Amino acid sequence: MSKKIKVKKRGNELGFQIFMISVRLFGLRGAYGLLYIVCTYYLLFDRAAVKGALAYIEKRFKEEGFFKQYWRVYLLFVSQGKALIDRYAIASGHEGFTMRLKGFDSVKEIVNQSKKGCIFLTSHVGNWQVALSCLKELNKNIYLVMRPEDNVAVKKSLRIDSEEEKKVRIISPEEDFGGIIKMTEKINSGDVVSIMGDRRYGFPALDVDYLGEKAGFPFGAFLIAASLECPIIVLLTAKLSHKEYLIDFNNVIRPKYDGKKEKRQQLKKYVQEYATILNNYAESYPYQVFLFADVWTEVSHNKIIL
Amino acid sequence: MQESEEKRLVEIRNKLKVLLVDHLSLEDVKPEDIKDDEILFGEGLGLDSLDAVEIVVLLQRNFGLEVKDMNKGREIFYSLDTLAKYVAANTEDKSE
Repeated sequence: MSKKIKVKKRGNELGFQIFMISVRLFGLRGAYGLLYIVCTYYLLFDRAAVKGALAYIEKRFKEEGFFKQYWRVYLLFVSQGKALIDRYAIASGHEGFTMRLKGFDSVKEIVNQSKKGCIFLTSHVGNWQVALSCLKELNKNIYLVMRPEDNVAVKKSLRIDSEEEKKVRIISPEEDFGGIIKMTEKINSGDVVSIMGDRRYGFPALDVDYLGEKAGFPFGAFLIAASLECPIIVLLTAKLSHKEYLIDFNNVIRPKYDGKKEKRQQLKKYVQEYATILNNYAESYPYQVFLFADVWTEVSHNKIIL
Repeated sequence: MQESEEKRLVEIRNKLKVLLVDHLSLEDVKPEDIKDDEILFGEGLGLDSLDAVEIVVLLQRNFGLEVKDMNKGREIFYSLDTLAKYVAANTEDKSE
């Protein structure tokens, strides 16, 4: 009933430490400087990363030739590197970052008025981890659906499961039933569950339009929300300028079944709503989409045996 | 006594069969096609992890039951029979 998910690991704790020391010695901009060398290495030697990035770049900049697209892959790598450095700088107390919140008051109202919890739908865009400090203000337990062992550094930086931050916990998708029963239990108890919505990792998916082509998006979060009648808050973050981030809570989706027939197909319009939100995001922040997977060619199906 | 318990279990099984067909994405399956000891996930009925959400909800709405313990969940959701026994053991017999 449980399932192992294979994800290639890049970077390690030593690498992160080198960048953190650079931040302390040379400041953020100095640490960013190191990225140009590291990213050149990835561009030349990490075929899988380039292939994953190209899948997105080819859709987002479809009119351009190969060499221009290849250059954009490099810019995407550098942009992701900056996001990672910012994440660890913020987590380790580096000062001077500004977080611009959009829609947070209405989210507080939704969460506090509802007896049930809700789902925060995150994506491989921007820097969702920087929003975690805001989520703690909701005064609810927060459960992140992610594989703990692949995120040791993230876990460390976010102080997940630590004594002082008992409100943030992990639900592993490798647990029995993909962690679904646990997620259901937590939402029913009024807690917040945060799920990644744009990569399926072998889980069931529905075909939706994304960047002009059909892509397979997982629909588990939407099924849980429709079944438990709880809202989905799409959490978007974007780096606006040096040390300035936008955290956008404005998009709320309320999946609902209309009868008992073909329930999974009924969810398609809500998954499409989410894909359209991401589409608009990619238009506004083209170098902050860190999917690194070809979600367009992964054959979608809505049934999987676990 | 044993006879009435068995009768109740049969009723619960039959109700569960109807609910599963009604609520889950089972194609061309009728309640009477489901065996009493049918395995629910993987082989057998072929349900997937997302169907577990629907089962949790239908247990709540139709029997007032909550499945909280993950380890218990694995045993309860193993087959139609284990699910029916869980419902029988955790709900009152209204016929008495």
